[in-house]
Amino acid sequence: MQPLNSFEYPEELKPAFEKAKRLEWITIFYLISAAALMFFTMGNSQAMKTAWFEDALSLTPSISFLIASRVFHKKPNKDFPYGYHRVVSIAYLCSSLALFAVGAFLIIDSSMTLIKQEHPTIGIAVIFGHEIWLGYVMMAALVYGSVPPVILGHMKLPLAKQLHEKNLFTDAEMNKADWMTGLAAILGIAGIGLGFWWADAVAALIISLDIIKDGFTNLKQAVFDLMDEQPKTVEEQKKDPLLDKIDALLKKQDWVKEHVFRMREEGHVYLGEAYVVPTSDEDLVENLNQLGEEVEDLSWRIEEFVIMPVREIPETTGEK
Amino acid sequence: MQKVWKIPLLLCLCWLLAGCENYPKDPNDTLAQVTGGTLVVGYSENPPWVTLGPNGHPGGVEADLVRGFAKTIQAQITWKRDTEQNLLEELEEKKLHLVLAGLTDDSPWKSKISFTRPYLEQGKKKHVFGVVMGENAFVTKLEKYLHQKEDSLKTRYGHATPQ
Repeated sequence: MQPLNSFEYPEELKPAFEKAKRLEWITIFYLISAAALMFFTMGNSQAMKTAWFEDALSLTPSISFLIASRVFHKKPNKDFPYGYHRVVSIAYLCSSLALFAVGAFLIIDSSMTLIKQEHPTIGIAVIFGHEIWLGYVMMAALVYGSVPPVILGHMKLPLAKQLHEKNLFTDAEMNKADWMTGLAAILGIAGIGLGFWWADAVAALIISLDIIKDGFTNLKQAVFDLMDEQPKTVEEQKKDPLLDKIDALLKKQDWVKEHVFRMREEGHVYLGEAYVVPTSDEDLVENLNQLGEEVEDLSWRIEEFVIMPVREIPETTGEK
Repeated sequence: MQKVWKIPLLLCLCWLLAGCENYPKDPNDTLAQVTGGTLVVGYSENPPWVTLGPNGHPGGVEADLVRGFAKTIQAQITWKRDTEQNLLEELEEKKLHLVLAGLTDDSPWKSKISFTRPYLEQGKKKHVFGVVMGENAFVTKLEKYLHQKEDSLKTRYGHATPQ
């Protein structure tokens, strides 16, 4: 069997890929520092605990992106004849499952705090000999944990679209949404200070609803990807317009009487096949070869496109 | 979505500005009630932190600290003697304001009730009071008092358990 073409990203996208990797390393180190700071200041605040969990969790897309990036560009071999592209989808599944599970856990946890009416106690902290209400220290830690990720998120979004990288996209979206988590937790702590013991748990509940929503959307998409759903754009989750281009190209061929084709997403790249009913057998091999090349030239994302001449269109294929 | 978030932010700023004078506040106004009123303190002997004096009144390091604190807020103290277990259960039900029992912050009760920040560290042992949950103005007031006493306590008891 002929192994698939081994490249993942074309030359012009390699700098973008390198930049994405750099940003993810920065994100990881930054998030660890923010999580450590929050851990030492969180005390009895439920919202703070929830925000801490979210921060620690938002490491998973970054880490799974970096791990996947060491694997997916490997050449196909005897054991893995289709290459390693799908590792990206698996990484995506892992990070979205983690997100979903922790969201569910946190909803239960903060609901219990409300039901049991646990009043969070926040006393003072002594920093360099000064007595400060610990709530203020928590708010400062939350600001440190919320502002820079928004900037990182905005830097990653365009790269994710360019690279057709869903892990990176999830990560960027989560980073961008981080300020909401931070703000909710700050409001919760400010609420405790005003004597509303429930403010903290309510803030935590709102944060966890946001986490579980993110988790569910991404988990669904990850499962659909592994089930070979038709390729969709990274940012809007709509049918990729590339599919219409392929259809138009197939339609344009005067030697093709009828055609169907299907495509699936393997990580960053698409693989697919077409069944065509030729008008005659004349120059068939030549025509097939040329058409295949034309389709693969439409975008770097089309990794392999197999064209099969048939007498009749088989009924089992989807797209017409 | 973005506009919705601005509303609580503005509300919060208003609250903060309005509430600056006494911040943090108590959900159940404990500090306001005990100031010039009565502080209900449970104690359980654990020498040298809490001892039973000859006249039936508690003594020891912790009892002295609480008397000093009560003085700063012009409060009377109602003492209640019981086992540590019973006292902490009553504290959980908010029937007491404070529990003195020579507690340290590694107590398994940590998840059920609240402790003050350690008023004294002896090696790994961090000595704390049990305090009514979530009454943050009261806790903050007490912790500030304890922090002022920290240095003198440290020079007296910092290294060895006093006998």
